[in-house]
Amino acid sequence: MDVNSVNPILSAFASVLPQIGFEKVEKKSVAMQGAVIENIGVMINIGMMGPLKGVILIGMDIDSAKRFASKMMMGMAVPELDNLAQSAVSEMGNMVCANACIQFSESGVIGLDISPPTLLIGAGGMVKVSVPKVIVVKFLVDEIAVNVYVGLY
Amino acid sequence: MGEIGNMSAFRVMVVDDSPFSRTILADALQEGGCEVVGEADSLESLIEIYTNCKPDLVTMDIAMPDADGFECSKVLRFHDPAAKIILVSSMKDDETEAEARRVGVMGYVQKPVDVETLMRVINAVMSPDSLFAKLKNGGIDCFKEALAQNITRMTKTTATFSDKEPPATYISQGITVVIGIIGKYPGSVILDLSMETAEKMAHVLLRRAGKNREEVVSMAAEFANVVAGVACSMLNKKDKAFGLRVAPPSVFYGKATEVISPNIQVQHVYADTDFGQIYLHVGFKKGSILWM
Repeated sequence: MDVNSVNPILSAFASVLPQIGFEKVEKKSVAMQGAVIENIGVMINIGMMGPLKGVILIGMDIDSAKRFASKMMMGMAVPELDNLAQSAVSEMGNMVCANACIQFSESGVIGLDISPPTLLIGAGGMVKVSVPKVIVVKFLVDEIAVNVYVGLY
Repeated sequence: MGEIGNMSAFRVMVVDDSPFSRTILADALQEGGCEVVGEADSLESLIEIYTNCKPDLVTMDIAMPDADGFECSKVLRFHDPAAKIILVSSMKDDETEAEARRVGVMGYVQKPVDVETLMRVINAVMSPDSLFAKLKNGGIDCFKEALAQNITRMTKTTATFSDKEPPATYISQGITVVIGIIGKYPGSVILDLSMETAEKMAHVLLRRAGKNREEVVSMAAEFANVVAGVACSMLNKKDKAFGLRVAPPSVFYGKATEVISPNIQVQHVYADTDFGQIYLHVGFKKGSILWM
């Protein structure tokens, strides 16, 4: 998968986040890495099937995930990443990936579908995906660092 | 605006900024045998009225000043993930439908509304989904069968299932394989085992010790992939309408990790094998959207 083919996912990220309360979505870097990724705190795992297969992972550290959930819940205090906060961040993952399917279909990749998000909380753990290379896009969303890992083939 | 009393089958709340549209829709709903229990004209009053009148279903207009129907649906579903929303709008095109799916709307009726179509959509959204119930109640049995069958097939040993209830907050034993499922009802399956269990399994499967952690982790991913694939095939054979397919696995390992499937009803169980305990976690959600 070449770096340009992640554009629909980047567009999805940039178009969904302003709809859920975020103002500034900045893409900081795009890079290619191997199949093993470090979990810096929280990973949202969403499987993708259709003409492209694989996984999209969205990773944040715990503090960022709490800030992210708080922002999604109109500034509500989120001292712990509890059920409500977990539901909020995973819903964001679901919305971004569902929107990415629409963006892909507009660029001619039709018939993609996604699985519901699974949340894996555990800083320092590793994730091995089923593709040899992953494209990692680092975003800064209202000063919150969010990484999107795209492993599709 | 606010709560309105009446008697009938489904209790419906109407969200529309136009008093005229609300009246027309309320009339159609009543004619169809529904009870209109609340009306809201904007995002501002939506949650309060919804909370007070506790409707079975909400009809939502799209074009409204300030927050539109998508925005309102998002807020409502965030407040109550189980909220059943159908869009009632004059707009009906691919883009609008895609957006509606994205915000979790379950049905769509175009204005001007005729009672028959409206009630067909409402009945479809409200009727218990027996196919989904089949998956929700019996789905895990296929995964248990696939797990036991493949332990036997691949290692010539047996697996039994423990009565011990896994904890609600589940922390990985060492290796967690996450596999997304796509189909009429999307879901996920998770297999979790300790590194030691995986090493013992790898030893039998490879007829030698695993060379390194990488090889052991890959074995766990492949085993889970086979179990998920076989189980989904079994379910598809039971009813081809499921159309289930498995996405490639992701394997989490190396640190204590909490595993959560938010907003999904999960069934989970421990399997006891000669190699150690394997945790199996299966969940599906209703992804079907009924369009008319």
